[in-house]
Amino acid sequence: MSFRDLIREALRSLESNRGRSLLTILGIVIGISAVIAMTSLIGGIRNSLVESLGLNAARAVQISCAYQMKPDDVDDLARLMPEYEAIEGSAFGYTQIKNGQQTIDVSITGANSTFFQMTGALRLAEGRLFTTQEESSASRVVVLDRSGVKALFGREDITAVGKTVRIGSSDYLVVGVDERMPNTGSGGNSTYITVYMPLETVLKDFSGGYAYLTQVVGIAREGVDVDALMETTKKQVAKVMSIPDDQIDDNVYVYSMKSTIDSMTGFMNSFSLIMGAVAGISLLVGGIGIMNMMLTNVTERIREIGVRRALGATRRDITLQFLMESAVVCVAGGIIGTVLGYLLSWGLAFAASTFGLLSSMGMSTGDGTTSTLAPLVSVEAIAAAVGLSIGIGLLFGWYPARRAAKLDPVECLRSL
Amino acid sequence: MRPVIDMKGIHRIFESEAGLAHVLHNIDFTVDPGEFVAIIGPSGSGKSTLMNILGCLDTPTSGTYHLCGLNVSDLTDDELAEVRALQIGFVFQSFNLLPRMSVLENVMLPLAYTDCPRTERERRAVSALYSVALAVDHYDHRVNELSGGQMQRVAIARALVNDPPIILADEPTGNLDSHTGAMVMQTFHRLQEAGKTIVLITHDAGVAAEADRTVTIRDGRLYRNAPRSPRRRTLDPDRVPSIGGLRTGGAAL
Repeated sequence: MSFRDLIREALRSLESNRGRSLLTILGIVIGISAVIAMTSLIGGIRNSLVESLGLNAARAVQISCAYQMKPDDVDDLARLMPEYEAIEGSAFGYTQIKNGQQTIDVSITGANSTFFQMTGALRLAEGRLFTTQEESSASRVVVLDRSGVKALFGREDITAVGKTVRIGSSDYLVVGVDERMPNTGSGGNSTYITVYMPLETVLKDFSGGYAYLTQVVGIAREGVDVDALMETTKKQVAKVMSIPDDQIDDNVYVYSMKSTIDSMTGFMNSFSLIMGAVAGISLLVGGIGIMNMMLTNVTERIREIGVRRALGATRRDITLQFLMESAVVCVAGGIIGTVLGYLLSWGLAFAASTFGLLSSMGMSTGDGTTSTLAPLVSVEAIAAAVGLSIGIGLLFGWYPARRAAKLDPVECLRSL
Repeated sequence: MRPVIDMKGIHRIFESEAGLAHVLHNIDFTVDPGEFVAIIGPSGSGKSTLMNILGCLDTPTSGTYHLCGLNVSDLTDDELAEVRALQIGFVFQSFNLLPRMSVLENVMLPLAYTDCPRTERERRAVSALYSVALAVDHYDHRVNELSGGQMQRVAIARALVNDPPIILADEPTGNLDSHTGAMVMQTFHRLQEAGKTIVLITHDAGVAAEADRTVTIRDGRLYRNAPRSPRRRTLDPDRVPSIGGLRTGGAAL
């Protein structure tokens, strides 16, 4: 029998038992949609978590030292460690702005453009980051976020780029606006905002004479073993900061995002495994449904099997005919289940975003905004789902099909 | 002339929990090409078992069976299926048409197990249905929409569609009224005239009398091999009633 004949026969057979076929397909639909929904949702959660840690998170190394590091120390460290694509420091400043009755507490992050690009801490909606010239000359330029725009200009949708704002005792030119709208803390007449300035500007205007860095971050080059690099970094920091060998562990701390991501990935993989197992069980139930339907089909069509054998069908023809029926059921269930699973994952993601589930899972960006969760459905996942459904069809259809093929044609023709 | 069916010393013994059942005893049976032979016997005589062996659906416990020169005992299961597909056309008492298929699809079914392309299958099925004088407007009907006589003609068309040299008919008139049965027998005569070898199983002596030769089987033994007699026609073609607007007497065969 040709492949086309087998498909035609399978569809005709399923159509003649429409109710039973639909219920069996439903079993596969539930199984496949559960698998797709779970895997895509977990993939989406993993992506959102990684995103919330910032770009290049897996290659990022945070360095802190009990001895206060200055920009020159960071430059020395960068020269000593070519394994890093970049090492950048940031400084912290604080001031208050009086705006009528309103007091605005301003937290100032000072860092160069490279730092922001490395950490992904800023996503500009308007304007630009700082130029090299602005950074080296400690220019009075600032990047605000939407909360800052709202606090300083009264409305968040105003075009702030090009305007000046007074922070502390100086005016600063707004060169960029971050797209995010962090939850600003407010109490009474106070509002808290965060602004971003070049490192040198913060050290000059807001350090109060203590020009040291609060955070140093390095990005390892592609392919560098981050774990080994962390050990080397400790020694090189100690060398730059003249820390004796026996005091390194007490004074130099090197922390990698990779370990965080690794543990997160490990957790997510375990979670995937558990959810996959749950979804797999429902798929197994669907498969058993297929076997049940096919065994019933074989029993009901014993005489047909005898007639076909009398008309020249080989055992292989009979096997293929029944296998094709179960495969068609599973493919139909697989396709519907994939679409349904995808819709389900979007629905769950929407519900999770709407009801704040993501925040409770710690999935927020560095400045407090909640991440949006986009389910991750890859072509591979869809291919795997359809492949899996065909596999289930063949696996659970094999026994009934072989049973049909092994029947004695004389006995089949004798049956009522 | 080499016989198309040549059985020698055929025994068929069935084993079951109840013991051994020796159903066929030392059967010697030959059929020449173009012959119309009736096997007649009462219920339980072993004629269906003999028919199953003749149709390569079952194999004898001992003895030799040559079909169109092939030693059936030497054939594999797949080769037996091929023999059934190409050398034998089956006509069953209860028609054995597949109810979820149309008339045309039922007739096309044996060709699905050959290399015949679909367009050729349709052409041959239409030709076979025309030869049994089934009205064209019935071709797309489901078989359960047909009368018993129409169903048996569809079954005969299905047996003919592969153009096999041998037609094996198991009680082909058993479920039909005498009038329709007579028309079916008329169709068999026409098939014989077209060169087909026909072996018919029946318990009805009247139907058996339509054949060139009758073979009686009783208690698993070929009891009497009646001498060849000139073929008798019990039906006058002019008296054959029309079915579905077509006269079976006017069929192509």
